[in-house]
Amino acid sequence: MLEGLVSQESLSLNSMDMSVLERLKWVQQQQQQLQQVVSHSSNNSPELLQILQFHGSNNDELLESSFSQFQMLGSGFGPNYNMGFGPPHESISRTSSCHMEPVDTMEVLLKTGEETRAIALKNKRKPEVKTREEQKTEKKIKVEAETESSMKGKSNMGNTEASSDTSKETSKGASENQKLDYIHVRARRGQATDRHSLAERARREKISKKMKYLQDIVPGCNKVTGKAGMLDEIINYVQCLQRQVEFLSMKLAVLNPELELAVEDVSVKQFQAYFTNVVASKQSIMVDVPLFPLDQQGSLDLSAINPNQTTSIEAPSGSWETQSQSLYNTSSLGFHY
Amino acid sequence: MASADKLINTDVPEKDVFAFHFLQSLSNLRKQNPFDTPDQKNYRVRKIKKAAYVSMARAAGGSSRLWSRALLRRADKDDNKIVRFSRRKRKVTWKISSKRRRSNQRAPVVEEAAERLRNLVPGGGGMETSKLMEETAHYIKCLSMQVKVMQCLVDGLSPK
Repeated sequence: MLEGLVSQESLSLNSMDMSVLERLKWVQQQQQQLQQVVSHSSNNSPELLQILQFHGSNNDELLESSFSQFQMLGSGFGPNYNMGFGPPHESISRTSSCHMEPVDTMEVLLKTGEETRAIALKNKRKPEVKTREEQKTEKKIKVEAETESSMKGKSNMGNTEASSDTSKETSKGASENQKLDYIHVRARRGQATDRHSLAERARREKISKKMKYLQDIVPGCNKVTGKAGMLDEIINYVQCLQRQVEFLSMKLAVLNPELELAVEDVSVKQFQAYFTNVVASKQSIMVDVPLFPLDQQGSLDLSAINPNQTTSIEAPSGSWETQSQSLYNTSSLGFHY
Repeated sequence: MASADKLINTDVPEKDVFAFHFLQSLSNLRKQNPFDTPDQKNYRVRKIKKAAYVSMARAAGGSSRLWSRALLRRADKDDNKIVRFSRRKRKVTWKISSKRRRSNQRAPVVEEAAERLRNLVPGGGGMETSKLMEETAHYIKCLSMQVKVMQCLVDGLSPK
């Protein structure tokens, strides 16, 4: 009788046409029916009554309690079965008959619980707010359903939904935890949620931030996209600058022996006049590839020098005019290797 | 730009500081070695280049930056003091070996470029990649400042 009930209801559930409320109502009706049936059939099964009491309270706790009760039942009904051997036949028949029915009821209860869980999961996926308790119960249900071999089809569906939801929720939970500390990592859906990968992700975001900053400094980096190209550009730029330093030091090596640079006599103002690009230094510090505008400014600054102050600097310039030709000779010599 | 970014502090002093340090180092060089012999041109060039780098490191804030510290240490090592500080391979391999168990191996594209950068930037061997980026940014700023100073000097001193 019960099995017939079960088959009917399982078929109707498979259609999935009913709304949630209708299904819940149906489940409650079924529970009431079962209660009546079981109470009629067996009187000496306290565990089953306890289960039925749990039944009406909360669907979430149902499977937890039901599973534990199921184990107790299995052990409980063994001795009952044995004990019912000696005494009168009525009791034997009762216990034996009871033995089958509670198992069926347990299966049915578990099935219905599983289905309600699956349905609840499907509906709860859209609103993405969940409490920690629900997460825990979902995990437990997943574990219990996996152990039940008789309900593979529906339980698998429920499992995948449960696992995906739990992973999503744990990721959100983990990201919330992270926000409380100080690393702000946004964990996306479907990504790994262990601490190592989160730390990796935070590290990668740090590096990309710094690379963006470098991109602003290095000229010509905006055209190239992607990390590899940008890094190549940056490396190229550093090499260029170093080569420039070497080239300029070569030039200075040529020019230097002919000049007297008494640093002690020169005051700060002379420096500012000599190397005036105070405005430029405060602006972008990028070196343009054509350095000619800077050259002109440098030479202009020399002309703008106050004659009173620049005694030591103008002396070399005086010597240049006299020795310009010799300078040219030495410079040409200097660049021949 | 440096002040706008509050994450990384890459402030570089004014051009005057660089100029002062460089000229000071040049005058020191002159006092040490009289540049009379023309066949020692290579030697002179190398000296000037080294003076440029050292003055840049001093101007950029002596020991407040990793690259400047490494530069100065390297300069001292070349001259007289023997400084053994091979931190490079130890630190980098430690990081790699501990994390290689994970599936993604630290973005190999970024790591290759970081390796090349480490060869270029002084003191890059003992740094993690994110720190390396900061040091590179500051190093680039200082280098460009030094180049400007030297260019001005050369143009100021070159015959017209």
